[in-house]
Amino acid sequence: MEAEIRNKPSFANVHVKLGPGERITAEADAMASMNSTINMQTKWSGGVARGILRRLFGGESMFVNVFSTDSGGDLVLTQPFPGDIECIELKGNTLYLQPGAFLACESGVKLGLGWAGIRMLIAREGLFRLKVSGTGRVWFGAYGGIFEREIDDEYVVDSGHLVAYEPSIRVRIGMAGGILSSFFSGEGLVTKVTGPGRIYMQSRSFGGLAAWLNAHLY
Amino acid sequence: MIDESVYSGGVFSDTIDGGRSGAEIELSPRGVSARTPDGDRFDIPYRECQVEIGGFSGRMVFCRNPDRSLTIFCEDRKFRTALAQASAGLLDEQLGENVRRRRRESRRGRRIVVAVLLGTVLLLVGAYYGIRAVARAAVHAVPVSVDGKIGSAVFESMDLGGPEVDDPVVVGAMQSIVDRLAPHAAIDGMEFDVHVIDSPMVNAFALPGGTIVVFTGLIERADDAEQVAGVLGHEMAHATLRHGLKRISQSLGVAAAVQLLLGDAGGLAAAGAELFQLATVNSYSREQENEADEEGVRMLHEAGIDPLAIARLFETLRQQHGELPGAVSWLSTHPQHEERIAAVRDHVASLPPREYRLLEIDWAEVQRRVKQD
Repeated sequence: MEAEIRNKPSFANVHVKLGPGERITAEADAMASMNSTINMQTKWSGGVARGILRRLFGGESMFVNVFSTDSGGDLVLTQPFPGDIECIELKGNTLYLQPGAFLACESGVKLGLGWAGIRMLIAREGLFRLKVSGTGRVWFGAYGGIFEREIDDEYVVDSGHLVAYEPSIRVRIGMAGGILSSFFSGEGLVTKVTGPGRIYMQSRSFGGLAAWLNAHLY
Repeated sequence: MIDESVYSGGVFSDTIDGGRSGAEIELSPRGVSARTPDGDRFDIPYRECQVEIGGFSGRMVFCRNPDRSLTIFCEDRKFRTALAQASAGLLDEQLGENVRRRRRESRRGRRIVVAVLLGTVLLLVGAYYGIRAVARAAVHAVPVSVDGKIGSAVFESMDLGGPEVDDPVVVGAMQSIVDRLAPHAAIDGMEFDVHVIDSPMVNAFALPGGTIVVFTGLIERADDAEQVAGVLGHEMAHATLRHGLKRISQSLGVAAAVQLLLGDAGGLAAAGAELFQLATVNSYSREQENEADEEGVRMLHEAGIDPLAIARLFETLRQQHGELPGAVSWLSTHPQHEERIAAVRDHVASLPPREYRLLEIDWAEVQRRVKQD
């Protein structure tokens, strides 16, 4: 299966060439266009209960679509918001994706929902996060650009900018500065991550967009 | 004893394409080894191993080589103990220190979480009561004419449950009670306007601005005009204390503040505020009822009408209805009447003694005319 991310970074989409017998699993509504030779099958995302959990808490839809073909064809997958898409290859390792980030994966990848904990809720990162593991490529999207960083010592990420992280990454909530500067700097609570491991961040945050829109509504 | 089991974990190494891979971890007598699905093998001898505990779950064990270019990690619950055993005590000190530090930090983390949650709750509760207080104070800046406008708009749109009685004797009797109380009202400039509605409901109420509605059921059940005066005094007090407007302004104030503060932050918070509002509405209303009781008693006392008449009315209604206050609207919207009768009696007892004059109303005639209608 050949896949190419096009129109990076603002309006990225994944152009997939499926060979006969190949298949790709994508988030519901991710398909923008495809050849008529491609079959689409809608499945509960990891079973009914998990699908509902994923919808309620994972910020993803209850269903995933599995695309396959007997004779080969192209399809284009995209995400609903402007921003970059990144591809990583799993080799038996695991990655946690923030709610809404998942776009597509190859058939060797397992999708699971994991409890992220109260600290992530306070850090406004959501109570649950998606766990992708297994072998194969995973595509995930972000709002704005995506940048990655290998973490070893402590590193600070503002809330809403973390997109994906490895299980080896420790996440804590902290204040950006002292009590007053945390309050007035507009940074408030931040997430402090400690490695070893890799994190993926987005250059814009939905919270930031919502606050900006809100300020300009009246 | 050396643990021969295989654990699932992973490896970070620059020699792997992409820098990481899942791996099967084994503990040999010499060191930790990891085998990736691609068949690569990595080893760290125990004597060179730097141990760290962390990761998202807080129980991932990292074994790192001295220049930290290779990391073997495993999250299996049994791995830490197995590693301590396999290394024959070589790593005990490092493991112990890591576990202690981890516990210290998680305690501190829990404290921060609790503090943040507590702070948020306090802030919300504080904001709620703050807004209510401001809204209540703001009512005093609103001219009384606004009360009247709201009251007449409500009156016109209301389904009163029966035709209006226009018998001059009945309406005149009610108006004369109100007129006797009106000069002692807490605010000037409120005009009290009485409407009598033909309905078996034993009820009376006041709308903002002084529109007062009396149902014939109350007139039929009351033993004398003073008992009705007691109810009217209480209802007039609601109008003069501007309870209706205060309630409206508080609901609006809280709703507007939630909108302003949380904006898009969502239905959940708004729904929470709404629920909180509902939960507090009862006690708030009871507070107003007590205020109206006290103010009503004051007005009756100053107008020279026996304030204890209302206590007698409660007695009469209870005898007529037994223990079924639900059958009597005025009682069901005015709960805890035992307590309130006691409070009224206490309040009356604290007032300076005064000669009370009977109302100059032929009550039997009023009741006869009401029944006739």
